[in-house]
Amino acid sequence: MKLLTHNMLTSHVKGVTKGYPLIIKATEVKVNELEFNSQFVSRMIPKLEWGALIQAAEWLGQSQDLPSTLIPDYEKDEEFLRKVHRILLEVEVIEGSLQCPESGREFPISKGVPNMLLNEGE
Amino acid sequence: MDEAASQLERDHVHSVYERIAPYFNDSRYKAWPKVKQFLLEQEPGSIVADVGCGNGKYLHINDDIFKLGCDVCRPLVDSAWGRGHEVQLCDGLRLPYRDGCFDAVLSIAVIHHMSTKERRVRAIKEMARTLRVGGRIMIYVWAMEQKRRKFEKQDIFIPWNPNPPLSPALRQRGNGTQSVSDDSASSDKHRKVRSISSMVDEGDLISPGQQKQQRLWFFSRSLDSVLDFTSLTVSRSSSSSLQTPVDEASESRSRRTSSRGLIRQMSSLFSSSSRTSLEEDVFISDPNEQVHKNDNRSSGNGNETVPVELVHDCSAVPLPDLVSYQRDQSTCEGNVEVDGTLSQQEPLQRQESTASLLESDGMSGQSSEQLKDSCLRYYHVFREGELTQLIQNHVDELHVLHTYLDHANWCVVAEKVQVWKV
Repeated sequence: MKLLTHNMLTSHVKGVTKGYPLIIKATEVKVNELEFNSQFVSRMIPKLEWGALIQAAEWLGQSQDLPSTLIPDYEKDEEFLRKVHRILLEVEVIEGSLQCPESGREFPISKGVPNMLLNEGE
Repeated sequence: MDEAASQLERDHVHSVYERIAPYFNDSRYKAWPKVKQFLLEQEPGSIVADVGCGNGKYLHINDDIFKLGCDVCRPLVDSAWGRGHEVQLCDGLRLPYRDGCFDAVLSIAVIHHMSTKERRVRAIKEMARTLRVGGRIMIYVWAMEQKRRKFEKQDIFIPWNPNPPLSPALRQRGNGTQSVSDDSASSDKHRKVRSISSMVDEGDLISPGQQKQQRLWFFSRSLDSVLDFTSLTVSRSSSSSLQTPVDEASESRSRRTSSRGLIRQMSSLFSSSSRTSLEEDVFISDPNEQVHKNDNRSSGNGNETVPVELVHDCSAVPLPDLVSYQRDQSTCEGNVEVDGTLSQQEPLQRQESTASLLESDGMSGQSSEQLKDSCLRYYHVFREGELTQLIQNHVDELHVLHTYLDHANWCVVAEKVQVWKV
């Protein structure tokens, strides 16, 4: 699971109103080098919940001093975009779990795949 | 009601896909051009979800967008992840994504596995929720109106035909000579049968009589109107053994048990059918293969006769024994000819047509025995306009832009619009 995916994921347990962001408990993290595309990253940034992304990176010890609020004119800051590229696309959680911040329900991540299936009635 | 529907989908969609997942081979299923086009049209930097992505056959298209896929079937999702795709395991009715986070959503061949109208609406609403305003969704569902297949009911069970994985041999078939029988490897025969069947929705030349013979499906009543699964019917009772009214005793059992019992009875009568492998006409679009298959079709209008003894035998023997009736005696071409002959033999009774379904079936030994019990997939086939109406009448936040028939599926492209709630 990449952190860009984590940014989209939310707890969908019945009755939960503040299920975002899911708390990451990682036991295995991998960093895959990927080709940097500054335009791709700049276009992605406005679609993100920035705070959640930084929080996720911190949980994994990967925040690289990225600011908790988005800087203006980031499109022109290649160093910044490279850091964002790294946490969005290169850092991957292979094993661990995602926890709903409200209900505490844990969703296991195994072999890179979060299992977001709920049981009947959940 | 919803519990029953959910149970049906678990038994006849989810668990079937889990069993048949190993037989899926990405190279066999080509992306439909219009789906590919939809993905290529997305702005660079778009975030796109493929809900019901299976093994991720659409997730490799367009490197300028971020795609994620999800599916309820673990083996398929794992297979997609193994090929470098970003995927999650989840239920289409409860998507684990925040509101409005996607620029586009794909739903290819998924909604037709939902067994009630209410669930189909919920699935579409759930996808619409995750779409941003202005974002687009593309939905494909299997069509009731097909050139060759004729469905008598909209809620049906389709046997799945297990086949060995694709070998490079298939890739070469379309080139040059079309002499199918040259290739005598038994495993290839199965593949050819599959590929022939993949042409079924291209069948302009099919006579009405032949169409009649294509009605080889299990039918159930709609779950929307019939809550009791024990009343699932086989509308085409082909032989005495096919008439399987649920015995009195089962009435007293739980609905779940009796439904499973009946379905097991049904599936023990039909193992699978080469003609029914949906993915074929759904996914193969290689022009070479089509040329090849057309040639097969024309060669299939020959004068060979149906092996009638075999037909009768098939209707009599219990299924596991039927495996021994592998088409040792009939090459792939022979099977095509069975098809062709069917169209010429109007007097053939239902019994024969059913049995020849079994005969022309491309079962592959032990694996089919293991799979036969669980390989009836549930589909709700859509009538013309049904998907559009479903959206227009029940999903306010989607505005239908296009609708068309493509590869025997109804497709809708819709855009999410702002809905002002009073």
